[in-house]
Amino acid sequence: MSLPPSESDWQIRQYIYTRLVGTSRAPTILDIAAHFVMRPAQAQAALRRLQAAHALVLAEDGAVLMAHPLSAVPTDYRARIDGHWLYANCAWDSLGIPAMLGIDVQVEARHPLSRQPIHFCVDGGQLVGAEGCLVHFAQAFRNWYDDIVET
Amino acid sequence: MLFRSEAEIDSWLLRKGAQRGAVLSLERVWALAQRWYAERMSPHFRGRTTHEAQIIFRQLGLRGEFWSVAQRK
Repeated sequence: MSLPPSESDWQIRQYIYTRLVGTSRAPTILDIAAHFVMRPAQAQAALRRLQAAHALVLAEDGAVLMAHPLSAVPTDYRARIDGHWLYANCAWDSLGIPAMLGIDVQVEARHPLSRQPIHFCVDGGQLVGAEGCLVHFAQAFRNWYDDIVET
Repeated sequence: MLFRSEAEIDSWLLRKGAQRGAVLSLERVWALAQRWYAERMSPHFRGRTTHEAQIIFRQLGLRGEFWSVAQRK
């Protein structure tokens, strides 16, 4: 069983979120190690503790894959802020971005069948567009962390 | 995943051979997103327990086995 994240681990998590929001890219292990003046192995261990606490999801190579609602890789769901796209892990997470940042955003989702874009936005805190659209949640809550990618 | 109708969801599930999960309107998902993610960038955020998650679900009227922690593997 992994140790719980330390306070410095949570600071690393905060750094990852800030970098993702600001640049659309997650910092690498080397970026994190350099920023916090630690060895890469220490940075990797911190990420593993954060993942064990469900605070991040890592790819097989140990890189940051998800920092909910943000995705570190392009997906079918993205929100535009300050001239760049932030990728979300799912339809719910695409609305998690304006919720997390407290700002209005334009969202573009790729329809899973037609692959055509669906546009909607949050304007003044209100959802606008995509009237009648529905979100399908594949996994029951109790299974979310068993297979977070397919949830 | 985002769909325009129940028929599209059925078509998708048939294509994937997948089971139906839960379906919410996008408006309801926006309400859920606001509760779930509002504090996520706070430097004080330290995660959420399953009990706290259940409270959010209940407050939004999300009930039933799909939204429950019961029978957790």
